[in-house]
Amino acid sequence: MRQRCTLILSNGERFQGDLIGAPLESSGEMVFTTGMVGYSEAMTDPSYFGEILVFAYPLIGNYGVPPLPKEMTYPLPSGWESNKVHASAVIVSIDSREAFHWNSFEPLSKWLEAQGVPGIVGIDTRHLVHTIRKSRNLLGRISPERPEGYRNLGSINPLTVGQYFDPSLQNVLPEVSRKDIIKLGKGKIRIGLVDCGVKWNIISQLLKYDCEVQVLPWDTDFSKIDCHGWLLSNGPGDPIMTGDLKDRVKSLLQEDRPILGICLGHQLLSLAAGATTHRMPYGHRSHNQPVYVVHTRNGYMTSQNHGFVVDDKSLPSDWEPWFRNANDQTIEGIKHKTKHFRSVQFHPESAGGPRDTGWIIEEFISEVKKSCL
Amino acid sequence: MPLRPELRNIQNGKTPKILILGSGGLSIGQAGEFDYSGTQALKAVKEEGFEVIIVNPNIATVQTNPEAGVKTYLYPVTPEWVEKIFELERPTAIIAGFGGQTALNCLLDLDERGILKKYGVVNLGTPPETLRMTEDRDLFAKKMNQIGIPIPESIATSSLDEAVAAANRIGYPVIVRAAYALGGLGSGFANNDHELKTLVVPALVTSPQVLVEKSLKGWKEVEYEVMRDCEGNVITICNMENFDPLGIHTGDSIVVCPSQSLSDDEYQLLRNAAVKMIGSMGIVGECNAQFALCPNSLNYYVIEVNARLSRSSALASKASGYPIAYIAAKVVLGYDLLELKNPVTGVTCAFYEPALDYVTVKVPRWDLGKFKGANRELGSTMKSVGEIMSIGRTFPEALQKAVRMISENGEGLSWFTKALPEKELQDQLSVPTDTRLYAVLQAFRQGFGIERIHSETKIDKWFLSEVANIISMELKIENLATNYKGSIENIASVVEGVDGAGWRHWKRLGFGDEQIAGLLIKKAFGTAKESETRLVSMKLRALRLEKGVYPVVKKIDTTAGEYPSPSNYLYMTYGGTHHDEVSKDERPSAIVLGGGSYRIGTSVEFDWCAVSSSRCLQKAGWCSIIINCNPETVSTDYNSSDRLYFEELTLERILDIVDFEKPKGVISSMGGQLPNKLAIPLAASGVNLLGHSPETVDNSEDRSKFSALLDTIGVEQPEWVAARTREDIDRFIERIGFPVLVRPSYVLSGAAMRVAYDRASLDRFLSAAADISSDHPVVISQFLLGACEIEIDGVAQNGEVITSIVSEHIENAGIHSGDATMVVPAQRLYVETVRQVKRAARLIAAGLKLNGPFNIQFLAQNNHVKVIECNARAARSFPFISKTVGLNLAEVATSVMIGVKPRVKRHIEDELPHVGVKAAMFSFTRLRGADPILGVEMASTGEVGCIGHTFEEALLLSLEAAKVTAPKKGVLVSAGAEMEKFRFLESAKIFQDLGLPLFATPGTASYLESHNIKVTSVSWLETDSPNVLEIIRKGLVDLVLNIPKDDRTEELTKGAQVRQAAVQFGLPLLTNMEKITAFARALNALPEFAARHKVACLPQYQV
Repeated sequence: MRQRCTLILSNGERFQGDLIGAPLESSGEMVFTTGMVGYSEAMTDPSYFGEILVFAYPLIGNYGVPPLPKEMTYPLPSGWESNKVHASAVIVSIDSREAFHWNSFEPLSKWLEAQGVPGIVGIDTRHLVHTIRKSRNLLGRISPERPEGYRNLGSINPLTVGQYFDPSLQNVLPEVSRKDIIKLGKGKIRIGLVDCGVKWNIISQLLKYDCEVQVLPWDTDFSKIDCHGWLLSNGPGDPIMTGDLKDRVKSLLQEDRPILGICLGHQLLSLAAGATTHRMPYGHRSHNQPVYVVHTRNGYMTSQNHGFVVDDKSLPSDWEPWFRNANDQTIEGIKHKTKHFRSVQFHPESAGGPRDTGWIIEEFISEVKKSCL
Repeated sequence: MPLRPELRNIQNGKTPKILILGSGGLSIGQAGEFDYSGTQALKAVKEEGFEVIIVNPNIATVQTNPEAGVKTYLYPVTPEWVEKIFELERPTAIIAGFGGQTALNCLLDLDERGILKKYGVVNLGTPPETLRMTEDRDLFAKKMNQIGIPIPESIATSSLDEAVAAANRIGYPVIVRAAYALGGLGSGFANNDHELKTLVVPALVTSPQVLVEKSLKGWKEVEYEVMRDCEGNVITICNMENFDPLGIHTGDSIVVCPSQSLSDDEYQLLRNAAVKMIGSMGIVGECNAQFALCPNSLNYYVIEVNARLSRSSALASKASGYPIAYIAAKVVLGYDLLELKNPVTGVTCAFYEPALDYVTVKVPRWDLGKFKGANRELGSTMKSVGEIMSIGRTFPEALQKAVRMISENGEGLSWFTKALPEKELQDQLSVPTDTRLYAVLQAFRQGFGIERIHSETKIDKWFLSEVANIISMELKIENLATNYKGSIENIASVVEGVDGAGWRHWKRLGFGDEQIAGLLIKKAFGTAKESETRLVSMKLRALRLEKGVYPVVKKIDTTAGEYPSPSNYLYMTYGGTHHDEVSKDERPSAIVLGGGSYRIGTSVEFDWCAVSSSRCLQKAGWCSIIINCNPETVSTDYNSSDRLYFEELTLERILDIVDFEKPKGVISSMGGQLPNKLAIPLAASGVNLLGHSPETVDNSEDRSKFSALLDTIGVEQPEWVAARTREDIDRFIERIGFPVLVRPSYVLSGAAMRVAYDRASLDRFLSAAADISSDHPVVISQFLLGACEIEIDGVAQNGEVITSIVSEHIENAGIHSGDATMVVPAQRLYVETVRQVKRAARLIAAGLKLNGPFNIQFLAQNNHVKVIECNARAARSFPFISKTVGLNLAEVATSVMIGVKPRVKRHIEDELPHVGVKAAMFSFTRLRGADPILGVEMASTGEVGCIGHTFEEALLLSLEAAKVTAPKKGVLVSAGAEMEKFRFLESAKIFQDLGLPLFATPGTASYLESHNIKVTSVSWLETDSPNVLEIIRKGLVDLVLNIPKDDRTEELTKGAQVRQAAVQFGLPLLTNMEKITAFARALNALPEFAARHKVACLPQYQV
């Protein structure tokens, strides 16, 4: 028998379900994703740090969770976007108690337990999605019947968190970024990848092309790095709560080395360019976000996970919107009018989600190659 | 781009005309889904202000409604007739992607023959070259190799050495097929060189060539629905995973949407391949891509691509909520996906891939038991006649809903629990048939584990584990009744201790109240009668509601709740605690019950009735609510009603919906026999029936009550008896003599209904009818030979007939009315006969207090009329009659039900400017082993209806539309009885005069010769020459006539061989002398008919 577990929302609503995973208390910002596959990718995506992730699709865990190899070799294993679950907690309607997939190592609940992450099953997730959609900045708290402690939030002391942990009130990049520089791959060109909580598949996609990737801690002094192009990664939290990172990115704009920003990296590039960002009523967190290239009206299906967006009117005159969302027309990408500084709000590396925009990374690499010829 | 340039000349004062090709009569493999797609296309085109021309002889469809702005041509979908329509109408463009393979083939023909060019008609959608590429295996393989998409290798070999080399190149296991062999002769699987040799050596003896192909047995079958616009934007609407692994036609597979066992890697791998394929082939519009995915690696192959709307796309549309056909039609007109809105949400762009937050399960419905001798094994040829889709938030919930709806009386999967010997069960698992799901369930009950069932079936273990959950709960439920000692009525008391959480657990696993009642009663008392189960289930329902356990209403919105949606596409589930917000509607509301799965006897015509009824409610200012669960229908379209519940048509669920919606009433008389059977239980549960009262329904359905009524009002009927014992039967036969008709009560499509000509056949039928519900006795009635059959369709209000139309069968009584050829107005009835028929109808209407739609069937002999039966509901013939006479009977009936007195003429058929003939469509080519013979049991899968200036014109058109084309090469005939030989003389003379060579079997040949007809005698024996099979094989004839003596002999007769050969070679086959004579006379009366006939469209409704 699983123990009962309660989800308490900052608007006062309560949902009762059964606990899966670790019997720990946890809290975070309430977000949902409507992707029907790719749950292990989402849970290990560092961008979900500090968030309680609700799955709209009711059957989660059907194909288990793939193994994490002891030795890290490239290409990195699929199914994992980092080496651990980053979400504060997960909420699903029903979990598969057994997994039979050829690439499964263990079922979802066991994995969550090993990862020290609580989850709740048996909740009307569609109703919860509606609740999240209708409220701005909804926070939540997980309360098992018999808690055995608090979920590890890295260096953040759960005792100082208060009732609800709001990841957008502080700089959370130290929790998800690596602490030292690592060099991967070989090639004539070198990419400086600023790790704000980078998804492994961004690294894997870069390594497909002949290049050396230097994965850099978020607080690296960029002037000390010898590379031909910059990739600003995805990551959690509010883009303005990132310390001096924005200013360091701004310094890169004085030069000509190509830059590609992804997700948080896009927001950082926008801020560095002089634009502003704001929190969306509810984020884009799904595998079916339609975007189009503003100039050509070519459409692409994209994977997204963001709660902040670049303000349309704030874009300086030497920049222009590159992509827009076909549903709400928000900015999904920007580009500099003369230099190769570009960024996208969506995930061209996918995992999970459609792989329609992988060409953006390819285009970036070829631009970098061109620039160092 | 808003519209293709060719369509932009509206401003020149010339409205573009767009011709849409339909798919013709329903047959296995091409069914109601094309009414859905065609109807959506029609709507999408009409909205643009274009004139629409529809060519489709399927008169029972919604798309052939003669509405303003639409011209309906009820003609065979062939290049000859379409060219004639081109000539008359001069359309701007043609759309062929919405009428199945029939329409695509017609388009390709029109293109090849230069007809499109000649009339300057633009093809909208995928170009013919691309279509040919998808159809031609070699071209397709070449293209796939070019773009790096793997397709299974196939190598033609002509020696053993070559075969071994090929197998080693491809890699074992391989499948071996003998080329040019019919029926899969000489094919099989080989896992190594040795097994290959044992297959190839004998195969090469009979066939010059052996194909060695990669075996993908046991691989997962996954489909993607893809849409591409002319700007090159591509989306996949959804994917679907087959519960059954590769090897079973997807139309015969249980299909789950979205995929359940695929990881993100696998999902995206196949999605990418689909997107790449559709783009590189230049498909515009909708396309379906089928893949084989290795169950233990990332290897995959593309199996095929269908560059058109298909059964799968209809399913995908209903499963995802994305209006695929509507958007595809806009796309072929030239719009790009980015500029189109999804009409279901109103806020999202059509360039969007739906996110589902539920799971849907499609289960096929087979009627193989209805075809004598049909092989029940499933394979690459589709055999199912219909399907059900169900929606739930757990897989077991969805699966159980669906299984309830494909079983005859909504029993669900706990009813098939016969213990089987282990060996037999194992065979049933390894050889897929229409009942394999039940074998899987039974295997779990008998302790086979997941591993073992998986190794026999290759069904993915995830699915099996979900099924195992159902069975273990089934056991727990029935064990509650283990020591029960009380009465049946009180057995519900054993669940009193079950709390809300326990109930919810049962319900989330999909258990129905009746199913639970049945499990308990069976455990305690051995068997459960329908009436007892129902009684107990109502007590369970009360207990459950007391505990606050009821299903919640959820929306299908394509966005998984991400955006607010005004969608009124709803389902119910126990996988949730809160109802979605459903918009308030102040108008009076009525629920229209649909027909459920298509099956022999219930088809698109009942969907037409339900849609007409819903539209009538809307026109009258009511809120119309439809409940149905058949994804192939128009009634389950998001815009056919104000609210759609895609739900099971069970008493339990209808009551749940009634509790939530609180409608003014329920209409149960529009969806055929399934909802009609629910009328009485619904009324007993306090639901207000609109139209006929429950007493009326009961008095018409219950034979004894109906018969007693006929006696009271003085209307004659054939002698009959409701026999409960064998003595009752014997006494009746002593008095009446043979032949007699044997049937159970509550019949539709003549289930288990037979004519017994002697004691031996009677004994056989009675033993076959043993599984007839014990609640109802067997009815035996006098069978009249040589009588003509008449039907009257109409509407009555408060016992008074307000309109009625008489029609006549071409075949004499004895052919099921669904298989018979029907003509309106009647052609050869005495005025006195018609008077008697109409008088009887008035008396019956008054006697039953009919208040809604009705259909009465009569026999007439020498101006003497007897009533066979009265259906107090809309009948199969309603759309045919309605469109032929120009009065929508379903709408008139609905007006009556909501208390509006319609202004209609009482009788209209004698003032018609044309004649309508309806003919049945058969699907015997798909049913290997089935004897294509007609009788009192219905066998047709669809129908067509055409109009003509004369009876002969309408007959020839509708027969051609039903694939009985005028013979050009020769006619083969064999008539059993002496009487039939004599009756054939007239036709024989006509065929001779038309210059058609006649071939006949020896007896028939010598009879014809002795009457001065020139005929070639052909032997029955294959060793002689010429013989029957030989002349069929050689293509010397293109019409086969075979009149069996009667259906006395069950075993394969010589005649059955001829019939099957005709079917196998795709030749038109007629087995009824009245129909043959009418056909011959029409051919004689209208020489060069096709060339001389002036095409005309169906006139609009008069009211």
